[in-house]
Formats: sequence, C-alpha cells, structure tokens
Amino acid sequence: MTSLLEIAGIGKTYRARERTVEVLTAIDLTVSEGEFVALVGPSGCGKTTLLKIVAGLLPATVGQVRFGGRPVTEPPPGLGVVFQEYGRSLYAWKTVRQNVELQLRHLDLSRARRRELVADALDAVGLGAAGDAYPWQLSGGMQQRVAIARAVAYRPRLLLMDEPFSAVDAQTRADLEDLVATLWKRYGMTIVFVTHDIDEAVYLSQRVVVLGAGVSGVQADIPVDLDADREQIGTRSSARFGELRTRVWTQVRRTPESEMV
Amino acid sequence: MKALGYALGLPAALVAAWWVASDGSTNVFLPPLRTIVEAFRDVWFSDTFVRDVVPSLWRLAAGYAIALAAGVVLGFVIGRWAAPRALTGPLLAYFRVLPAPVLIPVLLVAVGIGDTTKLVVITVGAVWPILLNTADGVRAADEVGLQCAAAYRLPRRTRHLLVLRGASPQIFAGARQALGLSIILMVVSEMLMSTDGLGFTVVQFQRSFAIPQMWSGVLLIGLLGFGLAKLFELVERRALRWHRGHTGQLTERP
Repeated sequence: MTSLLEIAGIGKTYRARERTVEVLTAIDLTVSEGEFVALVGPSGCGKTTLLKIVAGLLPATVGQVRFGGRPVTEPPPGLGVVFQEYGRSLYAWKTVRQNVELQLRHLDLSRARRRELVADALDAVGLGAAGDAYPWQLSGGMQQRVAIARAVAYRPRLLLMDEPFSAVDAQTRADLEDLVATLWKRYGMTIVFVTHDIDEAVYLSQRVVVLGAGVSGVQADIPVDLDADREQIGTRSSARFGELRTRVWTQVRRTPESEMV
Repeated sequence: MKALGYALGLPAALVAAWWVASDGSTNVFLPPLRTIVEAFRDVWFSDTFVRDVVPSLWRLAAGYAIALAAGVVLGFVIGRWAAPRALTGPLLAYFRVLPAPVLIPVLLVAVGIGDTTKLVVITVGAVWPILLNTADGVRAADEVGLQCAAAYRLPRRTRHLLVLRGASPQIFAGARQALGLSIILMVVSEMLMSTDGLGFTVVQFQRSFAIPQMWSGVLLIGLLGFGLAKLFELVERRALRWHRGHTGQLTERP
C-alpha cells in the first residue's frame, strides 16, 4: 500500500501571554491509501488540533504534513471533512441538495455530472427524498447524514471526521457508524476518524492511534485485526473486540492527567 | 380572522373616537377629522401628489438605497478583517452619535439646497444602524461553517457571500431601523431646505394657516411610514424564513 498521508514531526504550541502550552509534540504518523484510522486520546491530547493541521486549516508550529506527496499549507484538493457540530457546518438558508452541491460548483464538472454526484450521495446516506428540505427541518442524525453526503459527493481521497457522532443519541450513532463503514468500503476513501469513544474506534477502524496528553509522539498504534465485515452486536460481543478495547483503554488511561482543558 | 380583529380593533376605535370628539370642534388648530379627511382628498388626490409626494419618495428611496449599499459593504469590510476594524473603531464611535440633521446647515453652505444635500442627510443618518449591524453579524460568522468552506476550497467570493448571507438577520435588523430613520430625515431635510416634497408642503400649509391641509400631510406621512414598514416586514419574513426555522421559531414542518 502506498502512503497517502505523512505526518512528520508535527508540534503545535499555543502562546498565551505568560505561558506556552504545548498541545502536540513530535507526532509522526503515516496513513496508507484506503486505510481507516481512528485517532483516540483523552480530552486535551490535541487530536482535534492534529486533524485541523492535517486539513490545512491550522498551521503547525514545527513539522510537516504531506498529502499525496505534497506539503500541506492550505486545505488540499481531494479532502472531505465532517465535524461534530452538524448544525453549524451546514448552511441553514440552503436546502439539503444545495448544501451537498455547493462545493462541487467550482469544480470542473458538467451540470449533469454534478447532479448525478449529488443524487448518488444523497441516496448513499439514505436521504434521497429529502433533497428539498432545509437542514433545520431534519433531526440531528439526518443533518449529520447531509454533512456526510456533502463529503461523499466531493469524492474525497481523504475524509477527516472530527467526533462526528458525539452529539447524537446511541441508536442513531450505531446507524451512522454502520453507514460510514459501508461508505468507506463502497467509495474506497481513506478515513481518519477522531473520537473519544474507544469502542467506536475499535469497531470502525483498521488501526487505532492513541495520542497522549503531554506525551511526545504517538503513544500507541494498535492494529485492529477484526473481520472486515463487522456488525454492531456480533462484533462488539466478540472476544477479540474485548481484548482490543482493553488494550486501547490501557493506553489511553496510561497518559498522565492533562493540564489543559 | 380573530388576529386581524385584534390588530384593527384599537386603531378603528381611536379613529372613531377622534371622529366623534372632533366633530363639532371650532378650534382652528384642531379641526374636525371630517374636515381633515376632506382636505386629504382635495390635497393629495391631485397634482400635488406628483409635485410633492413623488420627489419625497424618490429621495427616500435613493438615500435609503445608498445607505443600504454603503452600510453593507463597509460593515462587511469592518466586520471581516481586524485591521479596518481597529482603524475605524474610534471614528465610528464618533460619527454614530452625531445626529445627521446637524449636517444640514453645513451642507446648505457647502452643497446648496438641491437634492444632493437631502440625499446626503438621509444616507449619512441611515447608514449607521446598517453598518454596525452588518459588522456585528459578519464578525459573528460561524467558525465551523467557515472551516467547512475553507476545507472544501470554496472560492473567496463564495465564502464572502456565505458570510454575508449568514449575517442577513442582523443586516435586516439594521435595515429596519434605517428605514425609520430615513423617513424622519427625509421629512426633516425637506422642512428645513426644500422647495417641494412632503416635509416642505406640511410646513407651507402651517405657515399659510391651512390647518386641515397641514393635518392631512401629517396623516399621509404616517400612512407612508406604516405602509413602508409593512412592506419591509413582508420582505424580511420571506428572506429570513430559514432563520426562524433554524432558531426554532417556525413550528410548521412542510
């Protein structure tokens, strides 16, 4: 497998007036094309910061991110994002379809192709009939589906998801997890998925990367050798799942208490 | 139907009370409403309308339009970028409290009595609520929405438009205040320096002791303001439907 994303020696320091806060120190991480990597860690470990740096939305203090071989200095082409705050990431004055279509408008696509991509993406997330609704007419879970459809329609090589399901109820969350797993296989994207939910990380990913608060480098990098076909009840109750989640848990708990909030 | 009854009930009662109470009035300055209504018909359903109402409406529309355009553009620049904001902060604080009519004597000397002076007075007075509200709304643009726009590499122009649209509830709030101010300034500027227009006509009637006619002008200006406010509300309700939905003020789910 070729590497799509190379994170080399990334550090991020915030300078307040009197003290400096080091959020990330010497992070090295390589993600291969088509991989599903989950990023976990205690709050304050800088996982969201790392994701923003990878997206080119935030400059690193030191180190370099390379995406498809090119250094990232601004959001690169072929990048999709889904954030936790679905209500704020969609534009409330646009319909679902307009939201999904917006970022395709400046790509070099024919009108027909654009429509096809939007329709396909809405179907893929199960919102084929909701194109003319406004985001605020939908439930939280459905709004997050719109954000996912927006990413899918863009056909990203890399999809970054920042705690995407933290704000929805448990049942919806399970449905959305399975949706993401399906889309990942169907579209062959590479996904980096930030979550604070260890079970979710193990259930979805091929590899769980643990970031520690105040720790130099990546704390642990744990391959998830579960079957490719996963299923909420069976997979989660398997013995291997239990072992993996215990391993991840141990790593997360090992990190010293964060001084940052 | 019931709501309409409530809305019209009090005004209707007040008008009826005015009608009855003033009917036998012999006070020159408070003529019977009947006389005022007759004067209204005679004065405004004639070529006075073209001579005085049309110029007033034109000044109002032009002054308001310039204020709207300038307020939104300047407010956007000031709200979006820190440098212009820091640069203009003290200046804005000064000019926003300067009452626009104070410019009238200055402009009278500098520009003369023409339409330009009136437009400047209306624009300078009405631009502030639009500018300040736009700046606030633009500055409060949602960080998450902006990050999505950046991540998906939306062109700069599209991102600016998203910010502006997101600020539209505040822009409308400012524009509503500015509409009221524009009407006031239109009338005041015409009262002080004009040879036609509504404000001028009302003052003329008063000076020539045509009291019922003067009252009819007051009535017309009131009706005009009311009508424009209603029209504005209609546009606003349509344009900001999404905002009421987004903030949970819309109960229907079409």
